Amino acid sequence: MRQKILNALIGIVVALLLGAVLLLLQGYDPLATYEALFRYSLFGYYPFATTLRNAVPLVLPGLSAAIAFASGVVNLGQPGQLVMGALFATVGGLYLDLPPALMIPVLALLSMLGGLLWAGVAALLRRFFDMSEFIVTLMLNMIADFFTAWAITEPFKDPAAFSPMTPQINPNGWLPKWGEFNTMILFMFAAVILAWFVFNRWKAGYEWRITGQNALFARLGGCNINRNFMAVMLMTGALAGLAGGLVVMGGPHRFIRGLGANYAWDGVMIAIVANNGLIATFLYGLFFSAIQTGALGMELITSVPNEISQVLQAVLVLVIVASREYLNTFVEQRAARRRAREART
Amino acid sequence: MKILIGLINGMISGATPILLAALGGAYTYYAGVFNIAMEGMLLTGAFFAVLGSYYTGSWLIGVLLAILGALFLSLIFILFAVVLKTDEFVTGIALNLFAVGATTYMLRKIFSVKGVFSNPAIQPIPAIRLPLAENIPFVGEILSGQILMVWVAGLATILTYFLIFQTRFGLRLRAAGYNPARLDSSGVPSSRMRALSLLACGVLCGLGGSFLSLGYVNLFAENMSAGRGWISLAAIILVNGNPLGIALISLLFGFSDGLGLLLQGYRVPSQFTAMVPYIATLIALYFYAARKRRLNSA
Repeated sequence: MRQKILNALIGIVVALLLGAVLLLLQGYDPLATYEALFRYSLFGYYPFATTLRNAVPLVLPGLSAAIAFASGVVNLGQPGQLVMGALFATVGGLYLDLPPALMIPVLALLSMLGGLLWAGVAALLRRFFDMSEFIVTLMLNMIADFFTAWAITEPFKDPAAFSPMTPQINPNGWLPKWGEFNTMILFMFAAVILAWFVFNRWKAGYEWRITGQNALFARLGGCNINRNFMAVMLMTGALAGLAGGLVVMGGPHRFIRGLGANYAWDGVMIAIVANNGLIATFLYGLFFSAIQTGALGMELITSVPNEISQVLQAVLVLVIVASREYLNTFVEQRAARRRAREART
Repeated sequence: MKILIGLINGMISGATPILLAALGGAYTYYAGVFNIAMEGMLLTGAFFAVLGSYYTGSWLIGVLLAILGALFLSLIFILFAVVLKTDEFVTGIALNLFAVGATTYMLRKIFSVKGVFSNPAIQPIPAIRLPLAENIPFVGEILSGQILMVWVAGLATILTYFLIFQTRFGLRLRAAGYNPARLDSSGVPSSRMRALSLLACGVLCGLGGSFLSLGYVNLFAENMSAGRGWISLAAIILVNGNPLGIALISLLFGFSDGLGLLLQGYRVPSQFTAMVPYIATLIALYFYAARKRRLNSA
């Protein structure tokens, strides 16, 4: 645990230093830039609420990727599952009319269904035709992208709008706000707690983890590998889909072009940085969200384009992961040397 | 006849970037590097090609810059995956996202635009007219007038095949993937072969990227590689890295690209025609999996 925190701190510091060098090279003041970056994301009521809210579409796909990778399932379909979830929730929101207390859960479930079905396509192809889910999910991402683009330009287009987008969904399906806090963060907290519980405390989660670490051992131990693969694929698809639904219900209340943005890929990166730990995914999700949120404010003050946040994120990922593996080797080497010394004496 | 020629030309132009990227990936495939950074390298190449061509007015410098840009990503890959021994998958994903972020950032910083940069000052890669072949009906219309990079891709296929299977370099490269410990003990560091394979991948992806932005369209658009790097990865896996097989598969994907354009003429929504190459990949993957299953059960 201490090593994990130490490693995260080393990684973050090194990455921020590298980022500072990049900024300096272009003639910006790194200190002022970082100050603005974190002032607009963490310090203050409104910035913090925004950071939390922006973390939702990062953390949920992140959880999805973390659970999948830790279970030995290469589900890289979060981007596609997210937009399909968003589409399902939007269509439900356009045609259903229920009181809010029913509408919101129904739409959330619909979005999970969308993600689940899209992941299910890849799962079935793997199950019955042995097609590697790695490439299949990547291809399904592109297909989902084009499919949703078609859905918002042809059948569900808002006739009053000039660019492709759906009309706004029924206001009963809008997620309410508490002050500046959007209630979508409640879904995120619930998902983190539930996912952690299922993954770390339930028998099913135990089987998934064992399969991820050693599939042969798991099979010999009596786990049903195929069923577990299906379950993980569907569950992670539902998580990614939920992210899409929440973005629609909490934000623009409609499906606009580019709704999925880079959320899901950022989520995958977060899971990787977190080494597939669920709590770590949540924390890194908040951190990445802080960078993205602060970047917008930073641009206003320092004229550094906010796209720098994407560069900074990639640097963070590489440095944190590299320093983790380097630190592990370093610690192991020292332990080995100590053992060798003890053996000699 | 016109449709057929259009289809074939569409096939060739669709296949070229995928072929170049997949050939680059073939080197890393044989060297035992799980390299998924082709997508990012293509994108970086496409950006730097436009940058060089716009500022110098020379497509050649654009292409050279594209190679340098993609090589820069290769160097980062080598630093993290080969030197620091970071997970290759992680490095690849992070590099792809780095490429998206960095090109978007530079697009904004250097050209002050969001989304798309196009300008008449960008010099395209020239098309090669073959005066002798031009007069042959049908064949001439296909052979002549292809963009230079198409021929480069064809040459690269043969060269890659020769290098990997006929030279000492190729033998060592394959040994690095097949049994790195043996290669190390024979006095050739396998990490050096892995690094070299990544550099080769950078050069080829740079060429492919320059074709994307300076080939038929003279512009750079955000994320314009649009999954071609992933398709090239699929192509490599489908034929186990064989360069000639890669050429064939790339043409197949190129054909589906051209088919998509053709279908648009029949009022199929453009979003559906754009899906065709990705669906073709899925179908190809199905046959690959079916063959593998038959081999396993036999």
